[in-house]
Amino acid sequence: MAGAWIRDKPATLEAATKEAAKLLQASRMPLIAGLGTDVAGARAAIALAQQIGAVIDHMHSAALLRDLDVMRESGMMITTPNEARLRGDLLLLVGAGLVETWPEISARLFEKSSVLNSRRIVWLCPSNGNTEAHSDIETIGNNPRNLPVMLAALRARCAGHAVRNDTPDLRKIDALASELPQARFGVAVWSAAENDALTIEMLCGLVKDLNATTRFSGLPLAPGNDAAAVQQVSGWMTGFPVRTGFGRGDPEHDPWRFDGVRLVDTGEADCALWISAYHPMAPPWKREVPIIALTNGLDCFDRPPAVAISVGQPGTDHDSVEYLAATGTLAFSRVTSRANVMSVADAIGGIAATLPVPSPC
Amino acid sequence: MLTRLAGGHIVDPANGRDGVGDVWFRDGRLVAPPENGRPDETYDVAGMIVMAGAIDIHSHIAGSNENLGRLLLPEQRYAAFEHAGHVTTAKGAWTTAETGRLYAAMGFTTVVEPAVLPEHALHAHLELADIPIIDKATLTVLGNDDFLLNLLRRREGGEAVRDYIAWTLATSRALGIKVINAGGAAAFKDNVRSFSLDDVVPEYGISSRAIFKALQKAVHELRLPHPLHLHCNNLGIPGNVETALATIQAAEGLPLHLAHLQFYGYGKEGPRGFSSAAARLADAVNAAKHLTIDVGQVMFGQTVTISADVLRQFNARNGARPKKWIILDGDSNGAGIVPYAYRANDFYNAVQWAAGLELFLLINDPWRVFFTTDHPNGAPFTAYPDILALLLDRSLRAEWMTKLPKEAIEVTTLPSIGREYTLNEIAIMTRAAPARLLGLRDRGHLAAGAIADIAVYAPFKDKAAMFRNAAFVFKSGELVVRNGNVLHQPFGRTLNVHPARGRAIERRMRDYYENRYGLSPDFMTVADLAIGRPDPFETVPCLS
Ligand SMILES: [Zn+2]
Repeated sequence: MAGAWIRDKPATLEAATKEAAKLLQASRMPLIAGLGTDVAGARAAIALAQQIGAVIDHMHSAALLRDLDVMRESGMMITTPNEARLRGDLLLLVGAGLVETWPEISARLFEKSSVLNSRRIVWLCPSNGNTEAHSDIETIGNNPRNLPVMLAALRARCAGHAVRNDTPDLRKIDALASELPQARFGVAVWSAAENDALTIEMLCGLVKDLNATTRFSGLPLAPGNDAAAVQQVSGWMTGFPVRTGFGRGDPEHDPWRFDGVRLVDTGEADCALWISAYHPMAPPWKREVPIIALTNGLDCFDRPPAVAISVGQPGTDHDSVEYLAATGTLAFSRVTSRANVMSVADAIGGIAATLPVPSPC
Repeated sequence: MLTRLAGGHIVDPANGRDGVGDVWFRDGRLVAPPENGRPDETYDVAGMIVMAGAIDIHSHIAGSNENLGRLLLPEQRYAAFEHAGHVTTAKGAWTTAETGRLYAAMGFTTVVEPAVLPEHALHAHLELADIPIIDKATLTVLGNDDFLLNLLRRREGGEAVRDYIAWTLATSRALGIKVINAGGAAAFKDNVRSFSLDDVVPEYGISSRAIFKALQKAVHELRLPHPLHLHCNNLGIPGNVETALATIQAAEGLPLHLAHLQFYGYGKEGPRGFSSAAARLADAVNAAKHLTIDVGQVMFGQTVTISADVLRQFNARNGARPKKWIILDGDSNGAGIVPYAYRANDFYNAVQWAAGLELFLLINDPWRVFFTTDHPNGAPFTAYPDILALLLDRSLRAEWMTKLPKEAIEVTTLPSIGREYTLNEIAIMTRAAPARLLGLRDRGHLAAGAIADIAVYAPFKDKAAMFRNAAFVFKSGELVVRNGNVLHQPFGRTLNVHPARGRAIERRMRDYYENRYGLSPDFMTVADLAIGRPDPFETVPCLS
């Protein structure tokens, strides 16, 4: 649905764009959040943030940063969905959220591959119902809160160390510990959406340990709303992941300081550009600030945003480059008949063009 | 608009010019001095040095692996790069925008990203599209991919390999083909921990030698302007000069480019069992006229090594400084990202530094030795001006050597080398020769018809300062840099080749991807429309 509103009154795109630019220009500390958009939308949003000294944050930053914190603390061994599918003779699935994060996981990973003769799948603490259709998946444990302890025990047993007798599911963990080093190319799969940093850290440590004698790798599943693509664009444009601010000119990254919800709820941010192009969604913060919403329609908002411009869904309503979960790469999708909608990049481009050009430094 | 650069010292080795004169250009191209023509604008560059824009043939500036490096090392963004006492003002050439600006400020106008994995080609091109000012190109990495290894196992012959290369180039929009530790990444997936020239990839029964030779021959027969670009086995290992020498032998007179040869210039002599063997390697390069090499010079300071040689990076992981690293088993090659700090007081790092300079100075044909640090692996490209200064000035080298471990310098020949590069040789190595090696006929020189990519340097006594901040840089005739400051940031284009291919390969690749991966290969295709900038590509003709 194409459309633009100022408050809840329908407006021309031009008027809404002007009003949005006015609000951003008046802001002391603008926030660009949500960022549920494709590569073009992310490029435009980050360029705008640079232009107006805004902070960028993604609706799935918490999950992105859980994986990233482990990576930039001690590193990681990872592989691709294709290699996991073709080569993973032992898949160690960890925790809840895998099917929710990657609905095709069953078709892509649980079926036999064209190359492997057999595949063994063990799932630690799956969410309810995730394994029902797959009787050949062995499950261990059902309480995700036990995961860090179970993984610590598994890692200790793999290294030949003793563990506490009261470790949950110790017998099964012992059996698994003797099995993991026998894998030819094992793959641990997890979703940061549902696992805490401690679990991820322990799991990545286990994967590294196993490579002392065999091959093992990890497959972190990317959260939705094209978070992985936005993360990549942020990386090359700013040198940092999301939760990065341009308030002082050069980009600065700080996961706590530039947490969008915190910035609004503490009153630091006084205006927000909220982007959710994949589905209509209002921002999660509690305090009220003027919002410029790039999503579909007004229905998701309790109170109408200051400005709203309807945008289409990337890859469905217009051409887009997005993260492709099946390959773990950025890929282009061509839409044969473009819907009559704005893209996030178009909408932001219009706002940016309306703002006064900053003087070159 | 007609522009005249008046009275500069023109150093244009491709056209045999090395003296005072004028350079004229109009509408982005160089023109002959017009008869009684009046310039619309004149730049007085008397006393300054005028060269074509520089061309970097091997610098890892963009792509999924580089971006992983950024995400792994947020602190790198803040670190000023330090090189033996110099602190550059550059805050890490770490973003796409900074990359373009810093290259342009040094007078570089074309840069090749040499290691793009086919499945990540679109990602690389999106990053390249966001690098301002300079033109770009990529090399696509083959040699660990199941499709090729199967062709070789089945002995399908040259035509199949040529068609596959042509299809890969068209899909990934590359200027050439690189092979990285041929077979090594595939073998590592089978838990192989060391892999040399005659080792065999377990699943396929094909040796590294057979893989690189098949690719070398096919690239030659396809008439690609750039010969196969080879990253040899055993990078960084003491005694690996034998691997490099055996590889040179194996080339058998066909064109071949050896990347970052410094990292293969190591013997096992001396008290620590680690020495420079660069002199032996330089002799072999001097004798092998079909061969070109780039150096991969090491400079001291913090950097990060980013390589698709995943086996080598896995073996290097415990030396990470700081202690964190990423190993990625990719669909074909993958990646290893291992931060590293080269230290002037470290015996091994000092030998590496000297070995690079020995290669520069002992390879006597500047048309066959190329100027690289294998950015960021040996040093970030922001160290280039310091390296140029070292090549131009033997007393500066002597001064540096006094600050390095004496026992390290003793296992090299560097103190005995008196050669100093001339500006003409610098211009060959960084302009004329790269253009020729890449098949870019309208770059790297200043004759009429060439693109008006021009760098003008004011003569400073401090040669590093002179090359760090060009007095003027013109990109396609537009003034983009003055006194090292970027004035304009137009976006350049990305160069690629399109060799002819048999029609059957489309169908075959589609069937292969559908059978093996359950996917269409379309996800790898780099479409113009996906780039998000107008007219993003330029085609370079194949050799006739
Ligand atoms: Zn390289």
